[in-house]
Amino acid sequence: MIRIEKLSKHFGSLEVLKQIDAEIRRGEIVSIIGPSGTGKSTLLRCLNLLEQPTSGKIIIDGLSILNKQTDIALVRQKMGMVFQSFNLYAHLNVLENISIAPIKLKKISRPKAEARAMELLKLVGLAEKAYSLPEALSGGQKQRVAIARCMAMDPDILLFDEPTSALDPTMVSEVLAVIRRLSQQGMTMLIVTHEMEFARNISSRVFYMDEGVIYEEGPPDQIFHHPQKEKTKAFIHRIRSLDLAIHSKDYDLYALQAKVLQFCEKHFIPLRSAERTQSVLEEVLLLQPDYENIQIRVSYEEKAGNIKLLISRQGEAFHPLNESLAEDELGIRIIRARCQNVDYVFEEGINKLTLTIKSS
Amino acid sequence: MNTKVKKTENYTLMDIEGRLDTVTAAAFEASVLEVLEKEARLLILRCSDLEYISSSGLRVFLLAQKKMMAAGGKLQLCCLRPNIFEVFEISGFTGIFQILPDDAGL
Repeated sequence: MIRIEKLSKHFGSLEVLKQIDAEIRRGEIVSIIGPSGTGKSTLLRCLNLLEQPTSGKIIIDGLSILNKQTDIALVRQKMGMVFQSFNLYAHLNVLENISIAPIKLKKISRPKAEARAMELLKLVGLAEKAYSLPEALSGGQKQRVAIARCMAMDPDILLFDEPTSALDPTMVSEVLAVIRRLSQQGMTMLIVTHEMEFARNISSRVFYMDEGVIYEEGPPDQIFHHPQKEKTKAFIHRIRSLDLAIHSKDYDLYALQAKVLQFCEKHFIPLRSAERTQSVLEEVLLLQPDYENIQIRVSYEEKAGNIKLLISRQGEAFHPLNESLAEDELGIRIIRARCQNVDYVFEEGINKLTLTIKSS
Repeated sequence: MNTKVKKTENYTLMDIEGRLDTVTAAAFEASVLEVLEKEARLLILRCSDLEYISSSGLRVFLLAQKKMMAAGGKLQLCCLRPNIFEVFEISGFTGIFQILPDDAGL
């Protein structure tokens, strides 16, 4: 239905979309998730030409919409777009907001357009508000009217650009329920959303976007439960991380520990867990055979509340907990007592020790 | 890390303040050894202001204990904060050292 080929969009020197390839089939519900500022909304806005792509192709039902001969107005009629801010006409009542476009653009008679508008208002649960002005509606109700207005044009595809992010949390579910109802009618939909649970339940496919590309795509079960790529994992598990490095045996322990503490404070990690992390870090560094190239990653998985320390050292294979050169086992005892899991692998010349700190 | 030493008729009291780690262990060891040269009967290490200890700090405690025992004296610790006591427990040091819960008798 929609094929996107090598789609790029630049804003000045900023490359927001980088050579995106994707295909959306009829009846599919594709959720687009990812961190802020990674091009999700820009991708949607390029699809209905609210933004002019810098290069690439968008082909809808065999028609290349970036061709100069293409009737843009007609293309837009096929695609309804629901925005964060509902964009209703303040001076028109709900029924008029919904019927104005079919009357003016599709030349449908007023009675017919209004009858269809009433049907749609019933679908979104707002028939009794038909003659209210938008100012009399709540945010959730306005968004439901905006959805009905899109549907009034009988689009082939609906684009949702963060439809619930401007709403009070109490109103999110009513809007999501309406989108869910539309999905059951076989409507093709592209939804940019931060509502992960919703995206997981409703989507036939999920695009995870990062740094201007579709970094990973797949069925919701893959993306939400078995993401394959690092950044997807970090996003889904809400992993925050801190990278540190050591290049000499005279490393500054206090600077490292201060950064660990700052990181923990920033992410509201309990002080007890922060102290344990500092303690394990010091002990594990004492067990290293050399300090020429050690990389340290502290990561915090917000969902599970786990702190992990990944210590990577280039050089000969050496498991610091099993082959310790220390005069006693004190450090190892402290590490083992403070970690719920210790994993060691040697891969491509790098010793990787992952320590999962016990939570408080 | 800072230490303060107070000598009484019957014992020497050393207050330890701050962090005992890889960086400060050597200085702490020097302070302890200096005290041990003059005190062979009873040394009490008061840890109410000890904030953090690593294996490097623990080793100095162990050294002090050995020296005192060799000299026929006694080493006691008191006022360990919960996080410090936890490290002593993990390391099996609670069975080696005489640890007093407070300094009421001092």
